[in-house]
Amino acid sequence: MTPIPLVVENLSFRYRDRQGAAIHDINFEARAGEILLIAGASGCGKTTLIRSINGLIPRSYKGEMSGHVLVFGEETTSWKLSQISQKIGTVLQDPERQILGTKVLNEVAFGLENLTVPREEILHRVDEALAFLKISHLRERETFTLSGGEKQKVALAGVLAMRPSILLLDEPLASLDPASAQDTLDTVRFLADQGMTVLMVEHRVEDVLRIKPERVMFMSEGEVRYLGDLAGLSQVVNYREVKLPAEDIVERAKRDPAPEEISILPGAAGRGEKEALVKFENVAFGYDADIEVLHGINLEIRRGDVIAVLGPNGAGKTTFVKHAIGLLKPKAGRVLVNGRDTKESSVAQIASTLGYVFQSPSHMLFAPTVSEELAFGPRNLKHSKEQIESEVKEALRIVNLSDKEQDPPLALSFGQQKRVSIAAILAMQSRILVMDEPTAGQDYQNYMNFMNSILQMPAFEAILFITHDVDLAVIYANRVLMINDGRLVADGKPQDVLRDFNRLKANRLVPTSLLSLNLERLPATGRFMRAEALAHV
Amino acid sequence: MLVAWRYRKRRSIIQWFDPRAWLTFYACFLFSTLAFWDVRFLLFFVVITFFVLINSGVKWREIRRAFLFIVGFVLFFAFLTFLTGRGGTEVYEEEHLLRELKASFSIFGWTPTLKITVERIFFAVSQFARISSIAIMTVLLPYSLDPSLYGVIFRGLGLPDKFAYAMDLTMRFIPTFARDFQLTVDAQRARGYELEKLSGGVVEQVRKMGPIFVPVTIHAIIGSEDIIDAMDLRAFGVGPRTWIDVIERRTRDRILIWFGVAILVVSLVLGLLGYGEFWVPEALIRLAGG
Repeated sequence: MTPIPLVVENLSFRYRDRQGAAIHDINFEARAGEILLIAGASGCGKTTLIRSINGLIPRSYKGEMSGHVLVFGEETTSWKLSQISQKIGTVLQDPERQILGTKVLNEVAFGLENLTVPREEILHRVDEALAFLKISHLRERETFTLSGGEKQKVALAGVLAMRPSILLLDEPLASLDPASAQDTLDTVRFLADQGMTVLMVEHRVEDVLRIKPERVMFMSEGEVRYLGDLAGLSQVVNYREVKLPAEDIVERAKRDPAPEEISILPGAAGRGEKEALVKFENVAFGYDADIEVLHGINLEIRRGDVIAVLGPNGAGKTTFVKHAIGLLKPKAGRVLVNGRDTKESSVAQIASTLGYVFQSPSHMLFAPTVSEELAFGPRNLKHSKEQIESEVKEALRIVNLSDKEQDPPLALSFGQQKRVSIAAILAMQSRILVMDEPTAGQDYQNYMNFMNSILQMPAFEAILFITHDVDLAVIYANRVLMINDGRLVADGKPQDVLRDFNRLKANRLVPTSLLSLNLERLPATGRFMRAEALAHV
Repeated sequence: MLVAWRYRKRRSIIQWFDPRAWLTFYACFLFSTLAFWDVRFLLFFVVITFFVLINSGVKWREIRRAFLFIVGFVLFFAFLTFLTGRGGTEVYEEEHLLRELKASFSIFGWTPTLKITVERIFFAVSQFARISSIAIMTVLLPYSLDPSLYGVIFRGLGLPDKFAYAMDLTMRFIPTFARDFQLTVDAQRARGYELEKLSGGVVEQVRKMGPIFVPVTIHAIIGSEDIIDAMDLRAFGVGPRTWIDVIERRTRDRILIWFGVAILVVSLVLGLLGYGEFWVPEALIRLAGG
């Protein structure tokens, strides 16, 4: 009888510098051809479990480990990483952090080169892996020019070329547009159907459910709270903790009281005519003189707007919003903030009107404590000491980090760092808030909570966020911009822009269950609503 | 993620050769240039530099910023040496005064004076010729060498696998660091931070640079850890590795290597024979009344 590909027995681990176990007494097995979805909030131990299985724990991450990991019946404790990596392939959360090669060919070949596989055999296996993932056309491309979805597939090809039997995927969808995420999921299903064992850690549970994982593990505080089939998951987890299909939420939310209506942008309400706060006039831009990446953008951001910017990876969304704060200046046309051309203002001057949350928190965190980090912006804007104190406290409350006030931001988890970076901008009390993928890498409950709070802040007159999450646009936006290939291809109310499924498809977006349900009930509701609210209509 | 220098395939004298041959020639060129202070000898290297620059296929707009920075930097230091007279005293002992310019004011009894001597002028010119030749030849490398070949180039030059791959990563770390630095500067500017308006003494200014240096450093460290994890997970360093890229040495490459070695040997021999040391024209010394 063929041994089971992966057996985990009584596995516990505590990181050397931390108190308390990151995972505790984990037991499960994974069979050939099975997809096991691992879900849970940020910091619940999912990544630690993955590291314990792929051997990075205890080899690269030191601490106290107990229990067993058996791969095809053999204990891996005494194996070298090179041995483990031939059986277990790992695709990390962010493909950017995994890709080493300059060219796609070198990247996919990297593992095989290290195993001294003959050159001809390497080239054969590389071509095989690229063809399998339908990305042979990328073979000679430089890796840093790839889009997010392409990077994810190249990282996967690099692992598949080593022909592992077990595949570990750590939040593979985090930075992908919906269509790329769907492609990745289809590939994963296909690999499992070919006999591979797949463990997939993912916050976007609803997306993964589409490929029907055989089993789901739900983790909480380092322990397994549920392990079983899909049907049982929605019965044991709170629909506020894990994003379930909209129909399931509606069904369960009927039993609970109706959610409170949130008052969106109270600072902008009741102030008469919608004033244009930011104006883009025929804006064109290119990083190189001969390549234009933004073409003729014309739009206004008006008081009261909550704008979701949607579009594929690499469409120019970040380039577009960087013009609003003056980090990039148009090559043609002009951008006006408060009626003033950004070419005539410094970024610091614009920052007092428009706060911009960057995609990656690690590029901005520097202070010894969270509260000092949050005070940095307001201090630069010359706010008074008392004002700074209350702004910091309020921002911490909104992102649910009041207990971390004196912690070093750099010692926090990625999800918490992201919330600190958002709070750092909230504390500046700008009139307009711009966020670049604020929910990426965040668990559902946390991001829903802070989005609710941010939208109710009285200081903001307009909010704009870039996202790949269509549901975020459905729930929070009153206006949707769709950008593709550097062009503004749609601008309007969510119910007008998102009802055209062909347009969604052309822009690499995928209709969600919440969008479909809202469209179905639109004649009765007259507007888009969250699933919990739909349950009470 | 590591990014690469802005390499592109072009009609270039550098790319016409095997990169290992070019790097060998470059090393010979570098050490040969450093063997001379005599501006007449250095002229030979300046000519080679400009010949390579013109035939490098690198467009002016690509290199303009780096070129102006380097030339400006070298000019500034050459001029500073000229003004102070320090730096050249190791290669000449006596100075011949052409002109002395005295300021019309004194500071605590000291009157700023500029001595224009034959030696200072020629030392500045030699310094400029030496350093700018080396710098220009160096700056052309990242525009001309295919980043996907860095590892195999260093392996081909005799470095062990691990060192060759480490060199590959190091070469790409520089542009990656520049990108991360810019991202951090942008992120902090968006929080009202103005790098150009830092005030206070030197220590205070360094302290105020923390919002830039801390994230950049931490990001570099975290990035290195990610790279190590990614390498470990794909069995790096477990034994000798296969390199899928193959570069071949042709006749022209051998000629270039021999040309480079010949320049180096001749330079060293000339140096041993006492040629190529600091030189100033006799006519100027006579003009100075020497």
